[in-house]
Amino acid sequence: MTRFTNRFAVAAACASLATVALAAHLGGTAAAPPDHVGGIPVPTAASKPQQSPGTELTWRLNTPTPRVVDAERANPIAGADKFASRVRSNDLRASLRAYEGAPPVIPHPIADLNVQTCRACHSEGLRAGDRVARMVPHATLTNCTQCHVEADPAHDVPASLAVSTFEGRRASGYGGTRAWAGAPPTMPHSLFMRTNCVSCHGEFGYDGWRPDHLDRSNCIQCHAPAAEFDQLSPRFGVPDRADGLEDRAWGTTTATTTATTASTTTAATIEVTPR
Amino acid sequence: MLTTSQTVDRRTFVKRSAMAAATAAAAAHAGRSLALPLLDPNQSGASLSWHKAPCRFCGTGCHVMVGTENGKVVAIQGDQKADVNKGLLCVKGYHVGLALYGKDRLKTPLLRKGGAMVPIGWDEAIDIVAKRIQANPAGFSFYGSGQWTIPEGYAANKFVKAGLGTNMIDANPRLCMASAVTGFLSTFGVDEPPGVYDDIDACDVAIMWGNNMAEMHPVLFSRLVDRRAQGEKVTIIDLTTRRTRTSELADHVYLFKPHGDLAIANGIAHLLVKEGGIDREFVERHCNFRQLGPKPDEKTPPDMLGVPMSFEEFAKAVEPYTPERVEELSGVPAAGIRLMGELFRRRDLRVNSFWCMGFNQHTRGTAINCIVHGIHLLSGHFGKPGDAATSLTGQPSACGTAREVGTLCHLLPGGLAVANPEHRKHAEEHWNLAEGRIAAKPGYHAVELFKRFNTPTAEGGDVTTVWVQVTNPGQTMPNLERNFLRKKDLADKFLIVSDVYPTATIELADLILPSAMWVEKNGMYGNSERRTQQWFKLVEPPGEARDDAWQTIAVSHRMVELGFDGMKDKSGRWLFHTERDGKEIPIWQWEHYYDINVDERLFDEYRLFSRHKHKDLAPYQEYVRARGLRWPVTQQSDGSWRETRWRFSEFDDPYVGKGKGFQFYHSVTKDDRALIWFRPWEAPPEVPDAEFPFWLCTGRVLEHWHTGTMTRRIPQLHRAMPAAYVELHRDDADRLGVRSGDDVTVRSRRGSLDLPVVVGGRGNPKPGEVFVPFFDEGKRINLVTLDAYDPYSKQPDYKKCAVSVTRKAATLSACARRPPRG
Repeated sequence: MTRFTNRFAVAAACASLATVALAAHLGGTAAAPPDHVGGIPVPTAASKPQQSPGTELTWRLNTPTPRVVDAERANPIAGADKFASRVRSNDLRASLRAYEGAPPVIPHPIADLNVQTCRACHSEGLRAGDRVARMVPHATLTNCTQCHVEADPAHDVPASLAVSTFEGRRASGYGGTRAWAGAPPTMPHSLFMRTNCVSCHGEFGYDGWRPDHLDRSNCIQCHAPAAEFDQLSPRFGVPDRADGLEDRAWGTTTATTTATTASTTTAATIEVTPR
Repeated sequence: MLTTSQTVDRRTFVKRSAMAAATAAAAAHAGRSLALPLLDPNQSGASLSWHKAPCRFCGTGCHVMVGTENGKVVAIQGDQKADVNKGLLCVKGYHVGLALYGKDRLKTPLLRKGGAMVPIGWDEAIDIVAKRIQANPAGFSFYGSGQWTIPEGYAANKFVKAGLGTNMIDANPRLCMASAVTGFLSTFGVDEPPGVYDDIDACDVAIMWGNNMAEMHPVLFSRLVDRRAQGEKVTIIDLTTRRTRTSELADHVYLFKPHGDLAIANGIAHLLVKEGGIDREFVERHCNFRQLGPKPDEKTPPDMLGVPMSFEEFAKAVEPYTPERVEELSGVPAAGIRLMGELFRRRDLRVNSFWCMGFNQHTRGTAINCIVHGIHLLSGHFGKPGDAATSLTGQPSACGTAREVGTLCHLLPGGLAVANPEHRKHAEEHWNLAEGRIAAKPGYHAVELFKRFNTPTAEGGDVTTVWVQVTNPGQTMPNLERNFLRKKDLADKFLIVSDVYPTATIELADLILPSAMWVEKNGMYGNSERRTQQWFKLVEPPGEARDDAWQTIAVSHRMVELGFDGMKDKSGRWLFHTERDGKEIPIWQWEHYYDINVDERLFDEYRLFSRHKHKDLAPYQEYVRARGLRWPVTQQSDGSWRETRWRFSEFDDPYVGKGKGFQFYHSVTKDDRALIWFRPWEAPPEVPDAEFPFWLCTGRVLEHWHTGTMTRRIPQLHRAMPAAYVELHRDDADRLGVRSGDDVTVRSRRGSLDLPVVVGGRGNPKPGEVFVPFFDEGKRINLVTLDAYDPYSKQPDYKKCAVSVTRKAATLSACARRPPRG
């Protein structure tokens, strides 16, 4: 045990030595930060790209600071093609999911161990040829293969094992509701584990889903989360509606989201209490 | 249930029309039809509704939100209101809804007639079962499951113990949790963990004892490792026989020799004694020391509850387990043992041990469970948030149904034992039975039961009819040839199987009963942290499939009709008599089964048993409102019901006396103290030799749940993990001249199996060891495994036996093949 205490002490001493050595190597005191470390420029306040007003209010949650993307790459699909690209993106999303809301399967081989290699591409997002690695929308969850598994078509389900007859619910494909034409749409999905908007709506997000104002990064300033997708909300379970054609008569459905009475033996909806 | 008014007012109609027009315009604009179903103006998605349910799979007991639409499950979400999983699920849980929709669901009763399975009606099927049992009640055994819902298990238990007056019922937790039970009984005098999952949020050190938590309890593992992403420090120590995904996220990985766990834990006890790591105040106030007594004779093991020993004797017993000696026995470097000794010694850290099948599927399972409880008690790392010894379960209701309802051959509901005359009396009172109705002699435990079922009746095979519900012994019994397949040639044996898919067990079934599953019926489960959960039926089962509990109840009633009076209580009333407002409800008739909530009736009757061992359950309706409640659930003065998180700890457990600090109120020694056991390291029953030079370990993988009957019918999971394989160390693969994808034969004294090799996959065994998962019914590794079991828990050891591995002659050149997943 004494041996161990000693070992810890030695380790601590080593660590402080290393700090001293590093500081010496950098040739200065902590008060004057270096502009280069190992030949790599260190971003400073002055070198940060100028952003449009308002971006200091970056909505972060666990979001890495969105980078500024030039307009051409930010929104390559112009308005005329927007509907088609939305449909394509919806199809693409659906092809990797058993139902809307299911964790997507992994459309490429992965390392069986060291799942953190996932982060090499997915922590920031990446474009390589025609393939895109999307940024992780839930950065605090670290055990990737818990929910995401490989989908190798070579291992498709053989007829002998009988395929599933499950038909999953699909996204409607509509955007969020708008209070009037031109109003910013509400979010058409839950924010649970989707707190990084950039994941789908940023540079490496989906065609047709990128805003024309990617330089603005405080998303919830204008786009409100929609209560009907939030499990903790009394409005949970009210389905999404068409873009700009929102039916505001929610009262007709919320009245029914109460638990059925004690003796009923069939399905009862969860009793929902307001936060 | 969402019951949106179908009347469409004019305003809504106008909007919907506009919407449809916009949709059409969008489609036309895109120059193609939209591939996704857009909102149907006549439904507008309003029939989608969300309901709570616990996940169907493992013992973690995550809560899911089940989205149903048009009578089908169409989506799943993690339930954010649930304490257990806080909205997160694993890949199995996210796809749990798909488990209902495999194309080959069993939809009608089938009877074997001259080698073929012929569809029959339910009346005939129930009649066949009833007559078969009635002809020889003593030769009948139920074999159930930790996936039975609580009411299903309770009905089956009552059917056998009250209705037939035998104890011939056992369940698959015998293969899964039995050693954890004997460990708790030996240490605390009462089953189930004192701690809860909240310990995961509070611990500083997590020790994985042969437990690949990253794959087997992924949601709990994330609950632990995701704390790091929040800036907290959690030290994870992985004690394992092979490197796994858990090792990847561990701070220290110590690979030990099979069976070395006993030496490691004793080594920690040694250091605690030697280096002042004992929490003297706690031990002096709350613990006694214990060891096994002498063997009564050569063949009988010593009594499980042992004999007292002094602290000095204990210290002397652990004296030989020096770090260096432990290194020899276990292969873990002495420095690693010292590190763990130091962590247990420190009072400023909260230490949480986790284990699952590595400890339980062990010929010394009771011993290793006891030793680890012992080092937690010795060091005082007990009963405070984060200081816990946590035994995790594999099945959703191994605790709730098997252990609490007592669907095992030696138990009665509520943790009562058939061998205890007082306990039998309690049961006779609750069930209104004549005195002496409940048999004192335990029935046969799982391995013994199937051994006898697979032995000719004339040669002592006195089990002639087995009714299997919700489990798959045709794939999970160890040494399958001996313990399952021999039945094939025994004409007088009769196997009844209630299941949802054609399984390996069904291959030998004489009568198949199609069952409803999960949200196709009302149900209740109990998870690893004493949490009892409830759900309602949400969709109809397919075809003629019906609830397992109904099947049991219908057979019971049919036996009454046939004049079998055992199915009546001492007042002459049927055991499952159900009435409302003085009027009997014929629940034995399927069309009337849901006229009343049978689950509620059975649970509220069962609940009375839970008081005897302070495992108090609340009334059924409390569970309807909650995301599960952890027992003991006690009623407050204001009438509300309060769950208990830390059992035996004064600050939380209402049954602990004031000022006591801790009170083990079911103590073996009747003095409110827990027992700290000494159990020695001993050699395993079968060790590798020249002929069978490898250790074989079997286990699970993330994507599949146990025998894969559900998960292999889910395309996303099947694609990720299509078939079984054998993991080899690279050196062994080189020596055998094989590489990933090559076929080898794994052979033991009992059987053999051909498997593709994986080298450097998600698990990496040490040289001289191999690992094979058991999910694949096409490659049943249990043809190879050993059926030796722990003398107390009777749980077989699936983790250790000796095998040979030989290259298949027909192996092709390696470059032509794709390596299997692994």
